Amino acid sequence: MSATTGRRGERLQPYLLTTPALVIVALLFLFPSIYNVVLAFQSLSPFQAPGDADWVGWRNFSRVIADPQFGGAAFNTVFWLTLVTVVLRLIFGIALALALHSPILRRWKVRGLARTMALLPWMVPPVVAVAAWRWILDGNSGVLNQTLESLGLIDSGIPFLAQTSTVWWSVIAIIVWRELPFAVMVLLAGLQSIPDEQYEAASLDGAARWRQFLSVTLPNLRPVLTVVVLVTVIATFNNFVYVWLTTGGGPGAYTAVLATELYSTAFFANNLGGAAAIGLIMTAIMAVFAVLYMRATFKEDAQ
Amino acid sequence: MKTSKAVPAAATAFAVSLLVACGSDPAGDDGGSASNGETVELTFRQFDPADQIQGLAEAVESWNADNPEIQVSLETVSPNNPQQFAREANSGSGPDVIHMALADVAFLAEPRILVPLDDLLSSDPLDGADQLLATDMTTFDDTTWGVPWTADTMALVYREDVLADAGVDETPQTWEEFQQVAEQITTGSDGEVSGFCFAAGAQQPAAQWFAINYYLWNHDMFLIENDGTGWQVGVTQDELAGAIDYFNEFFESGVTPTSMQALTDYADPAIAASLDDGTCAMTYMPPAAFRSVRDQIDAELMTAPMPGGLVDGSSHLGGRALGINANSEHPDEAWAFIKYLMSAETFETYSQYPASAQTLTELDVDPTEVGFVEQLPHSVPFIKYTDAPITIASLQELINQQFSAVYSGQTDSDAAAERIISSIERELQD
Repeated sequence: MSATTGRRGERLQPYLLTTPALVIVALLFLFPSIYNVVLAFQSLSPFQAPGDADWVGWRNFSRVIADPQFGGAAFNTVFWLTLVTVVLRLIFGIALALALHSPILRRWKVRGLARTMALLPWMVPPVVAVAAWRWILDGNSGVLNQTLESLGLIDSGIPFLAQTSTVWWSVIAIIVWRELPFAVMVLLAGLQSIPDEQYEAASLDGAARWRQFLSVTLPNLRPVLTVVVLVTVIATFNNFVYVWLTTGGGPGAYTAVLATELYSTAFFANNLGGAAAIGLIMTAIMAVFAVLYMRATFKEDAQ
Repeated sequence: MKTSKAVPAAATAFAVSLLVACGSDPAGDDGGSASNGETVELTFRQFDPADQIQGLAEAVESWNADNPEIQVSLETVSPNNPQQFAREANSGSGPDVIHMALADVAFLAEPRILVPLDDLLSSDPLDGADQLLATDMTTFDDTTWGVPWTADTMALVYREDVLADAGVDETPQTWEEFQQVAEQITTGSDGEVSGFCFAAGAQQPAAQWFAINYYLWNHDMFLIENDGTGWQVGVTQDELAGAIDYFNEFFESGVTPTSMQALTDYADPAIAASLDDGTCAMTYMPPAAFRSVRDQIDAELMTAPMPGGLVDGSSHLGGRALGINANSEHPDEAWAFIKYLMSAETFETYSQYPASAQTLTELDVDPTEVGFVEQLPHSVPFIKYTDAPITIASLQELINQQFSAVYSGQTDSDAAAERIISSIERELQD
């Protein structure tokens, strides 16, 4: 009898030990995710209790897709906000990681200082970073305009955040500046894991620096790059703060992105169901991207 | 069999215990009761910036000193976030007394998360209740859900000396005259002085929304209107395109700097700084923002009614209302506190205009604020746009975006007007 009870206890033990974690995961992740799906098919204002919601079928999705601004916001999200900033972060990230990995910095005993400096933008809260950049880019009294004017490069201030030719590049500059340290630190860790022997062997084979970079560094960084791209794409695609605080989607709706459309729908139009529908569409886009990206990556690795 | 049931049961019990632990107490649950001789504790939540409520904090302190049986704690949640209050109230919590923008009262009344005040108003009447302004904004379904507390509007803020340098002795009375004067100031200074500065950003809260509506209302145009049979667009495409052209002309002629197209706040530091150094002659602000800028800069500022501001219904009557959370366990004590906030005693330290026609006329205001006091009796609340299928916030976002699109050269006024009207029509149909 006691042996049976003991065996049953042993069988139950894994379940009992994992139950609290599973419950927490269910409460914190599963429930909100399922509720978001439910909400996307309901009509509910932020002033109503959830129980007051009405079922509206696919209406929220049809309204979102019929909105003439949705297409532009989707393009801005995919191209300007995500693609351009991720590519720039990868390019600058690799360059800066290589610089920070350089033996010269160690020789000059400034490697620690340089790495700390590279992390600084990441330590600045995004709200503070945007406020500072808005001040730098101000069309009248901004530091950048004053500098350019004092150098005689321009006659009058450029309203960087108010004209279509400069506004996206201004937002991109802020995002790349603030988010670059993440890519740098992960890539730097990847660089440090590459054995010196591989560079020595390549050197003996007569490979120049550029060839070593292409044939040794990049292939070794592939696993790290895979993670950096996946994480930065998902985080940037869903980002709301930078565009909202910098331009609010303007001028006009020129910098509107899906996250700002979601916010406007929820809290200006008081339509939580419509906002949930936008959120669900964003999730679907990212899920498709993640699956395709991981499949392509694993396929290449297998080959 | 028992095992398979035991695991989910344990999980459910754990989840329930977590939910119970996370649940919040209803407002005033631990607040005691005045009738039991215990101290009642009330929470009063307001949303104006902390630097504008020193006088209010003094008034609350004074109440607490005089009413040991009803102690009030002042809570600031800024900026205005009625949705947060709604979330709390719908889940059975939230502050006892809530400070609301006049335009938000209907949103909070509809889900019945405020206490209906009609019984309290009849059993314990409010002094001068018949003199209150904007009561149509606090009434929903023939029931009173809040009491108008403070009133404000946008007045023209200007540098008298800068206008004088341009040979302008009086502030413009009409919008057409306003444009001429602004151009005269800019051309007379060889472009050194901007005749008119205003926050023309595309963002939803951008201050241009108010000037645009003042212009429209002064020309008998309304974005939407309800003729009794239903809601419809209240302006033609040509009329709206004309309004867009009017405001765009300030940028086209160089009267307003292009950099203003990135601003949202009427008291943005860029506007305050250009008022201070005399490179901006005229702008507009509500009273609290005006006082804040006036106290921060060295230059002397004056106010006057907006163009057309002395014509009834050509400017908006904004302001705040007070209400009681439906979850409050002490509505009578909350009402007593609201009556105190409405009294002249509070306004001795709290530098806001009371939402009372009678008190307004008796106000002894700073001479620089004369523009607000002259205009307020002619101002009307945004009642014309409330209760429509499209929210005022959505209208505001749409207008600011489309006007901004024209300023920045993305589209022309006809296309922007067409887009505004079609968007409004789509929302009204839904």
